[in-house]
Amino acid sequence: MSPIVAAVVLGLWAYIGFYDALGPNFIQAYRPLMAGTVAGLFVGNVGMGMMIGGTLELTALGVYTYGGATIPDYQSGAILGTYFAVQTNSFTTGLALAIPAALLLTQVDILNRFLNFVFVHRADAYAQANNPKGFERMMVLYSHIIWGLSRGLPVFLAVAFGSPLVKAVSDFFNNYAWINNGIKAVGGIIPALGFAMLLKIMPVNKYPAALILGFVMFAYLKIPLLGIAIAAIAIALIFQSLKYQRQEA
Amino acid sequence: MTTAKITRADLWQTFVRYVFAAQLGWNYERMQSVGYCYSMLPIFRKTHPDPEDFKETFITNLNFFNTNPIVGTPFIMGAHVALEEAGESLEATEGLKVGLMGPLAGVGDTIVWGLYNSIIFSLGANWGLQGNIFGPIFVAIMVFIPYNLVRWWQFSWAYKQGENLITSFGSGAIARLTELATLIGLIVVGGFAPSIVSVTTPLTLTTNATVNGTAAVTKVVVQDQLNAILPYMLPVLFVILAYWLLKNRGWNPVQVIGVLVLIGFVLGALGILI
Repeated sequence: MSPIVAAVVLGLWAYIGFYDALGPNFIQAYRPLMAGTVAGLFVGNVGMGMMIGGTLELTALGVYTYGGATIPDYQSGAILGTYFAVQTNSFTTGLALAIPAALLLTQVDILNRFLNFVFVHRADAYAQANNPKGFERMMVLYSHIIWGLSRGLPVFLAVAFGSPLVKAVSDFFNNYAWINNGIKAVGGIIPALGFAMLLKIMPVNKYPAALILGFVMFAYLKIPLLGIAIAAIAIALIFQSLKYQRQEA
Repeated sequence: MTTAKITRADLWQTFVRYVFAAQLGWNYERMQSVGYCYSMLPIFRKTHPDPEDFKETFITNLNFFNTNPIVGTPFIMGAHVALEEAGESLEATEGLKVGLMGPLAGVGDTIVWGLYNSIIFSLGANWGLQGNIFGPIFVAIMVFIPYNLVRWWQFSWAYKQGENLITSFGSGAIARLTELATLIGLIVVGGFAPSIVSVTTPLTLTTNATVNGTAAVTKVVVQDQLNAILPYMLPVLFVILAYWLLKNRGWNPVQVIGVLVLIGFVLGALGILI
């Protein structure tokens, strides 16, 4: 497959894969395991796609966009890692490119979530004009473009103008380890924003005890999350039965 | 007050729109609002035949909305359709959305992303790494079937319960349900946040002291000291910082990201945090 054809195919796969995350979630195509395996299928080496995708998947287990926080772009990382691993016939080269690529593209995700405000402002205008048909047309035709390009375009460019560029970028990061360390620390901290956004829309001040209880169960009692969730249901039910019993009596 | 009958075809149309468009146009300003409003339009057309009335509903439903798109949105949407059918006011429907989206986001993110996905993806990735194509196929099946069943089940259940809740209990029942979801959501998030935000310090302090004439080197691992005071202290501090900036200082998410990226990058590059 010539690089330009591969660039178009993989760019489209990144676009469609991310669209899956925005709505259908049919196969969670934006997860590195799925993105890498299918990319491997396109470039004729499914095994390599599963290796790169699977390795990234295990580093990204449980890493999701809680409350809308940005996480490293493991999807594009897996696609690019697979492509370059197959090109160079080296798993390590692919992986060495995939991880910095995923971390670097974090910035593109932030930009994209910011630029998308154009759609909500267009929607306001359609609502003011009482034009639901116009709004629906925008949703179907345009509302996925910025999201899709935020994944598709970097993948297209990296594959098309390819290995020298990506190699230079990754060498740069290997030579300056402190930059990598900085980006890695950012990747660990950013989810804090997602939880903060979540807490902002919840009545924290009304039930601070609930938050503390969950924290103690996790941090001190080391109860797994499923256990905490089950205990939370029990506590909430007890709370309500006591509260409403007293009112009814 | 309208009493338009919502048919099964209307429910299906809204559900399909939600499945294909839940988070299209997601943005920092109002997050999932456009996808939500788009999905509900077929219902609004029926329940608000009057153009002015429709316009007001259209405008209001572009307000901020964000929750878990798999366990969360379908539930709220189903209950919202029931309220629309019963001719409830915009205050009632907005109250339902605002009251439930936060708690359901907490519950949904924990169950769907934190628990369920972690299990199926770690199994799938392990099989994949052994060169077994069944790994990714297993994940695809375990996503496609349960996700769609859970979404449809929630949507239709909340729609039916929504009708019951309104007819038999009135709005008090919705408030009680919201309270229940809020408590569960907050407890779960309390445990979930420190498990996801990953930041520790590799610092060790070395002091040279002379004890009884022999030189002794004492090493203090800073992270151990922090753990002794409060486990997961750094993740908690970062969540509190972000929350305080958003809530008390009124910053927008982009500004908070700027600060977190700056702090994380500088301290990470200096080797103070990992």
